[in-house]
Amino acid sequence: MNHPKWVGQVVFAVGVLIAGMAVAQAPPRPIKVGAMIPLTGGGATVGESGQIAVELAVRNINAAGGIAGRPIQLVIADYQTDATAGVSEAKRLVHQEKVELMIGPTYSQVTLAVLPILNEAKIPSVNVSGSERLTPEVGPYAFSMLANAEAQSRLMVDHAIRALKMQSAAILTDTGAQAKTAVEAMKAELAARKVKFAGAQEYQYRQTDMTPQLLTLRRSSPDALLLFTSNGEDTGNMVKSANELGWDIKIVGSFGATFSGPALKIAGKDAYKNLVAVNYKGFSYCPSEPTSKGFQEFVAQVKAFKPAAFDRQPLSYLSLWYDAVYVLKAAVEGTGGKTDGPSVAAWLEANSGSFRGINSGLTASKTTHFLVGPDALTMVYPDRQREGGLLERVGC
Amino acid sequence: MDELVIILARGIGLGAVYALVAISFNVVHNSSGILNFAQGNMLVLGGLFGFFTLSQEPSVGGWLLLVPSAALFYAAVLALQGYVTLLPLRSSVEQHSWLITTLAVSVIIGAVILIAQGPFALSVKSPFPNFSLLGTRTPTPYGLAVLLALVWCGVLHWFHTRTTTGLAMSAIAQDLEAARAVGIRVRRLQVYAFGISGAIVGSAGFVAAPVMSISADSGIIYVVNGFIAAVIGGLGSNTGALIGGPLVGVASMWAAFEYGGQFQNAVSLALLIGVLMLRPQGLFGRTAARRV
Repeated sequence: MNHPKWVGQVVFAVGVLIAGMAVAQAPPRPIKVGAMIPLTGGGATVGESGQIAVELAVRNINAAGGIAGRPIQLVIADYQTDATAGVSEAKRLVHQEKVELMIGPTYSQVTLAVLPILNEAKIPSVNVSGSERLTPEVGPYAFSMLANAEAQSRLMVDHAIRALKMQSAAILTDTGAQAKTAVEAMKAELAARKVKFAGAQEYQYRQTDMTPQLLTLRRSSPDALLLFTSNGEDTGNMVKSANELGWDIKIVGSFGATFSGPALKIAGKDAYKNLVAVNYKGFSYCPSEPTSKGFQEFVAQVKAFKPAAFDRQPLSYLSLWYDAVYVLKAAVEGTGGKTDGPSVAAWLEANSGSFRGINSGLTASKTTHFLVGPDALTMVYPDRQREGGLLERVGC
Repeated sequence: MDELVIILARGIGLGAVYALVAISFNVVHNSSGILNFAQGNMLVLGGLFGFFTLSQEPSVGGWLLLVPSAALFYAAVLALQGYVTLLPLRSSVEQHSWLITTLAVSVIIGAVILIAQGPFALSVKSPFPNFSLLGTRTPTPYGLAVLLALVWCGVLHWFHTRTTTGLAMSAIAQDLEAARAVGIRVRRLQVYAFGISGAIVGSAGFVAAPVMSISADSGIIYVVNGFIAAVIGGLGSNTGALIGGPLVGVASMWAAFEYGGQFQNAVSLALLIGVLMLRPQGLFGRTAARRV
């Protein structure tokens, strides 16, 4: 049976129309985001905060329509606070899971090991690492939410000189890569400010007895101890050991020393008697200042999301992971939905200042990929907390 | 000089914990040829026992009652582990599936602690005040660990020389096949040995809890250093363990003090290599003839 020619044309047109409608109605392709978090090993305490923050951010972003209209599919990888495991997990995320964006890692030695894999695949990432070695040359598509070691070190030395009238300083750090760059930065700053360097020591993560290290440092009778640490447990163990030795030394700590929950449990209520530490200005307060509404909302969200774990969370640190997801969202949407490393990196280098999150005023550029600059830092009393973990600024 | 005395005191205290792990290694190894690599996490479980049973201000009386409780509880746990480990083996000496079984138990314990308690290290208060040493306050659990190591060594010596069961265990240690041939119930005694090692490591974890890191991933430090102490002292020799443990503890603390904290763990491995090169059987180990 022969049909007129127009019948075939109509059938073809209807087919194209139906196919087009089907394509138009298909759900948008999810955007796979990898998150490298240390859920086990020596860094597991900070890893818990990272996991809570990233999951909360993803939930909120997906509820609001995703990234450039695409829902996030989160893939979490536990790198066990170990660089070798980190490389394996990064390969899995890149080659098997085929993630388009990456959050983390946090320990600098792991981040440095993982970056070649991310560079090769041109995957943009926001980590929470602070080593000076994380330059735009080493990680052209990698940015960091953590204030870098040099910025923290300069502030620590400056505070010790101005507020404590320090003439000589000893340095105690963990064995991480960030701490190693911090030692160099602190030594350089001490030399530039003509303060005597009294010696440096290292400890392994989760070392309960630090008396050998402290005995070495005590030999040269420094005026102050510069403690570059990555968590509250190590801070608590260090203070406990100093107390047992009867060493009443003034301590100036890095950001990790503000994680006061574990430190107070280990070293007791007087753990921070002689200790001040670096923190983000946005997470500090003076007694006369009210708490901002935005921060109160963030605290309430975290509390509702993980009520059982809320009390032990350092919220300032948690906010860095939370904002890391939003920074990538802003960059991808800013480029019109592109997820390739060069496009996202170029956007962040030019526009990070426009980001409005829990932490604002970001300052990445072509010469530094550390999103948080030195102006965002201040010194705080880690044990003087307001609701939500805001810490009282020194010198209010 | 004062600094070296402080290092020595704390090193011996920490080393006593390693010595206790080494002794528990020996008890199982002598009767079965098995090295129970779950001992590190079993020690951590001993600390966990203290975390759950001791209050924030523990009393000395309560603590004294809880030491044997911890020993008995972990004796039962390790006896169960021993039974499961030995069950599929025709001969624990000729077959080596125990290697995987003991490692698996260790991994499972770590995972359960992580799931149940989270990633944070738990802290346990001691009912005893710190004692004074050259103007410093030294945690009493260090001294108690030394005492416990000596007590366990004495008890084991008495057990192996004065009791029928102990003598039978010694017979297994000397020649397993001959012991079986004369009617000794080898498998049962091997399970007993696991139980005794549990009592040692459980009580050690409980006593040393205030100076230990009690977390999901800290068992590895104790099992590695306990194993090194056992090998340095001579695998199977409790006297060797009593010397090897403090040697490792003092060496690691001294290395941190003199050369830096980055050498703290490396020095015990260097010590192990040195002893194995110069005296492969360990300081107090005995060489044995082997059919080839």
